[in-house]
Amino acid sequence: MNGKPKIGVYVCHCGTNIAGTVNVEEVVQFAQTLPDVVVARNYSYMCSDPGQALITDDIANMGLNRVVVASCSPRMHEPTFRKTLLSGGLNPYFLEMANIREQCSWVHDDPIAATEKAKRVVEAAVVKARRLEALDVKEVEVEPSCLIIGAGIAGIQAALDIADAGFKVYLVEKSPTVGGHMAQLDKTFPTLDCSACILTPKMVDVANHPNIELMTYSQVEEIGGYIGNFDIKVRKKSRFVDMDKCTGCGACAEECRMAGRIPNEFDEGIGMRGAIYLPFPQAVPAKYTIDKENCLFLSKGKCGESPKCKEACQAGAINFDLQDEVVEFKVGTIIVATGFDIFDARLKPEYGYGVYDNVLTALEFERMVNASGPTGGKVVMLERGKKKKKKEGEEAEAPRMPRSVTFIQCVGSRDKSVGNEYCSRVCCMYTAKLAHLVKDKVGHDCEVTIFYMDVRAFGKGFEEFYDRVRREGVKYIRGNPSEIYKKGDKLIVRAEDTLTATPLEHETDMVVLSVGLCPRSDNREIIDLLKLSQSSDLFYLEAHPKLRPVDTASDGIYLAGVCQGPKDIPDAVAQAKGAASAAMIPMASGKVKVEAQTSVVNEDTCRGCGFCVELCPFSAIELVEINRMGWPVKVARVNEALCKGCGACAAACLSGSIQQRSFKDLQLMPQIKALGVK
Amino acid sequence: MVDVNKLREKAKEVVSRDDVRMLIGYRPGTYGFRARPAFVQGPDEVDELIFTPACVNNLASYIVLEEKLPVPRGEEPDLRKVAVMVKGCDSRALVQQMEEKAYDRERILVLGIPCTGVVDMAKVEARFPNVLERGEIALEGDKFVLSTGGGKEEVAKEELLADKCLRCRYPTPLVYDELLDAEVARFADDDYSDIVELEKRAGAEKWAYWEEKFSRCIRCYSCRNVCPMCYCEDCVLERLNPQWMRRSVDVSENTAYHISRAYHLAGRCIQCGECQRVCPVDIPLMELNRKFYKDVEELYDYEPGTNAENPPLLSTFKVDDREDFIL
Amino acid sequence: MAENSDFEPNIVAFLCNWCSYAGADLAGTSRIQYPSNVRVIRVMCSGRVNPLFVMNALQEGADGVLISGCHPGDCHYMHGNYYARRRFNLMRNFLEYLGVEPQRVRMSWVSASEGAKWKEVIEEVVNGVKEVGPMDQFKRRQLNW
Repeated sequence: MNGKPKIGVYVCHCGTNIAGTVNVEEVVQFAQTLPDVVVARNYSYMCSDPGQALITDDIANMGLNRVVVASCSPRMHEPTFRKTLLSGGLNPYFLEMANIREQCSWVHDDPIAATEKAKRVVEAAVVKARRLEALDVKEVEVEPSCLIIGAGIAGIQAALDIADAGFKVYLVEKSPTVGGHMAQLDKTFPTLDCSACILTPKMVDVANHPNIELMTYSQVEEIGGYIGNFDIKVRKKSRFVDMDKCTGCGACAEECRMAGRIPNEFDEGIGMRGAIYLPFPQAVPAKYTIDKENCLFLSKGKCGESPKCKEACQAGAINFDLQDEVVEFKVGTIIVATGFDIFDARLKPEYGYGVYDNVLTALEFERMVNASGPTGGKVVMLERGKKKKKKEGEEAEAPRMPRSVTFIQCVGSRDKSVGNEYCSRVCCMYTAKLAHLVKDKVGHDCEVTIFYMDVRAFGKGFEEFYDRVRREGVKYIRGNPSEIYKKGDKLIVRAEDTLTATPLEHETDMVVLSVGLCPRSDNREIIDLLKLSQSSDLFYLEAHPKLRPVDTASDGIYLAGVCQGPKDIPDAVAQAKGAASAAMIPMASGKVKVEAQTSVVNEDTCRGCGFCVELCPFSAIELVEINRMGWPVKVARVNEALCKGCGACAAACLSGSIQQRSFKDLQLMPQIKALGVK
Repeated sequence: MVDVNKLREKAKEVVSRDDVRMLIGYRPGTYGFRARPAFVQGPDEVDELIFTPACVNNLASYIVLEEKLPVPRGEEPDLRKVAVMVKGCDSRALVQQMEEKAYDRERILVLGIPCTGVVDMAKVEARFPNVLERGEIALEGDKFVLSTGGGKEEVAKEELLADKCLRCRYPTPLVYDELLDAEVARFADDDYSDIVELEKRAGAEKWAYWEEKFSRCIRCYSCRNVCPMCYCEDCVLERLNPQWMRRSVDVSENTAYHISRAYHLAGRCIQCGECQRVCPVDIPLMELNRKFYKDVEELYDYEPGTNAENPPLLSTFKVDDREDFIL
Repeated sequence: MAENSDFEPNIVAFLCNWCSYAGADLAGTSRIQYPSNVRVIRVMCSGRVNPLFVMNALQEGADGVLISGCHPGDCHYMHGNYYARRRFNLMRNFLEYLGVEPQRVRMSWVSASEGAKWKEVIEEVVNGVKEVGPMDQFKRRQLNW
């Protein structure tokens, strides 16, 4: 089939769309003079069945091995004519199209100029066709299983959907429990339903689902391979508690010598825990974990006479000799649902977070209003860091409730000075929700003020909720505070009411900073593992902002939840369901087609400089060592399952050693020559 | 100026090592003031080594250009280190070669020579024509002292200094295992004044300027062959299929050759000036290379051959790269 | 330069499949009329275009060259247009330094929805090249044997 080219040229009239302007007869006559052209014809509609039959008949009768169709845009009918070639017994990549409609007859009304251009375009197609090569249309098998990284609400939802569809799911979570940030919340806006009530059943479901293998307190260490065949290595960190024996009774935690002395991450440090702990009562799995940095026995080698937790555990679950376990498995697809960090309010020093006890982040406040939180749901004035001074036996003074609470919105969002230009999308509404909860829990006489830049109440039920909160007496002041300072036992918020251009010194008991959502500080780990790209806001980059919002540039890897950009719970769930269904497409079909017009390396001439490796947006190229006449040399090699066929490598290669199939230098340069001639 | 005895002693120590295959250095040329590369295989050969202002060659080229003959069946390739003497500019070629993964750092052993400048042999020969007996050049203070059997002459340093040295930013090697002398501080820089002057001329005038230069080209490929960055197994500019340019020597093909050569060095040329030095028809090749060098520095804040960890210039981008030229 | 108003320049354009080629197609479906001087080579991504193609096209007789890709951030292949932008900025400056007028080496971002912009780009490029006249000085010598 790769012998001397025998080219058939087919010029389409497209009714009068082409023939009305371009003299198709003249183009056909011209085509007959071109090298290796054995037949040139014109026909009213090449894409019609009889039109296609012209091609298949000529392939059969005249032994054509290359076909040029001069008609509409290849973006329109290239797939059609590729199939024609295939049905005629030719490799579909022996087709070249000349666009003489969209880019010729429709845009040039002068018949002479249009015909002249059509001839040039046909010639360029013919000279390229002479150099075309047969390409393999390859498929790879897809392992019917999915790795989901992160078990917040997005990861949980995606896991449940995929598992319910009958595919195996490996759900890997870094912390000791699933649930993520949603588990920390009290109520959810705008409906005020209880976060735990809607989340915990799902948490239990992922733990019990027969198709889900849940790995908490675990981290993905290595990912290799490509869509359909990813090789995964996960480290399950030792909890020093035997998961099979632990009953979750909590006797150990009560006895821990460190109990109440370590800030509990789950409570944003407002509550305390011991070295052996359950992050929160509904944690899944309900198994205790020993934090080895803080455990006296594990960090110092000595815990009194002997570790009290071990004595307290009647199940005999505590085992200080337990080691990390590394497990390896294969999956076909991967969903990244790693979530976010909240903005570090210390980066806005003018607000005094970390200096004044009663300047809180919204998430700290969220824990405080949560009935199962460290204060049992009471909003109280905080005296941070004073607990240790309390003498034993001394009765704790009943904590005072604030008489006024002030919220500041957009802390770390829409703020170029901290590098975050974007809107975090949830703060306006959670602020309204928390304001409502203050009124609810502290009492309607508690004065609630919100400083805002704009209120973005764009979602379903948002505007109504915002109205409701204002009706409850929450005061909104448009202005971005410049400073918070202390005066007596009050905090003073200095701001300007920008609607009335009035400078304010607003006195309050407590300030809550509505911190934004940020890319996780450990994002780099996943980027390095999966070669993901980031958008300018440093969240993970989707493959297309409009049409492929859950895909990444790498096939088989999908995004769910806030790791792709700030979103609220329903949006995160929607995206998780989207990512789940996207991941299920290749798993359900069992195989995926891979791009045929990929790059290929001439290993004899490649000098192994790695320019292509460095620039490939899909990490499809690697340097491998080969033996060249006895010498070990490095050359580039393309993983065809990863290559998307952009050809950027081919343009960067100094020795011309890497070429893109169907767009090789020796295929494009004759085109340049044909079009360069006047 | 590096002490020649110290140099030879160090060379002896290096070539005596089991893990070193050879040392590339300099020795006196056959006539006149010239020096030439020396490929020292054993300790008995070190006495011919020198370093003087006549040591103009960039020895980094030889590391990548050395032909790898087929290894006979049953034998192992000789993968021992190559030791090389480098000036500041030459060392940048090593850095760039390593950035381009030509070899790993442990494959070379670098003897760094902080350089106070080398001569332009053309300037020397213009001033002292037809010197056949061996002569020597040394730098004493701000004067070059040229001595032959016939006597001794002093010339002001800047009169004979190579143009590249008049623009040198890195006289002290950027990579070395051992530095053979005290560091030399930067004594020059490139202000690109000649490039800027040429940029300002009218299009037709510029074309005429270069057409005259390129029309002289005999396509000997010396500029490519000597270049420490041009070491493809199979140079794309000489390939027949596809043929980027014909081999025929005419101004169109020559121009294409020079565009391609210079573009292939964009973001890679380390300004050693070897191409221009070896050009038999005096094409000012550095005026091409320096144009790219200047643009690369101004547009992308990138200086080739200064950090082997840098990503290659054209394999990377910044989202806010200039695009005011784009419609 | 060229005072000859009859001069019809010949321009070779490299268009990425996903944005600019689709944009040019859209100009067609919208029946937007523009000069016929531009002949298109379709590549999958502007990142595929080797800047030496510009030199090659000029040598083969083109009076100007256009490379068109997706707007920044829209590349179907993530970054191809960013690589193209770097390469062509350098090549364009360099060719200008050799005396090739910058009007002859153009780059544009044309999205799939910018049929009208495609026409504007073509007019700009064609008029620019008309201003500086034919590019004969670099033309490859014709061989007759």
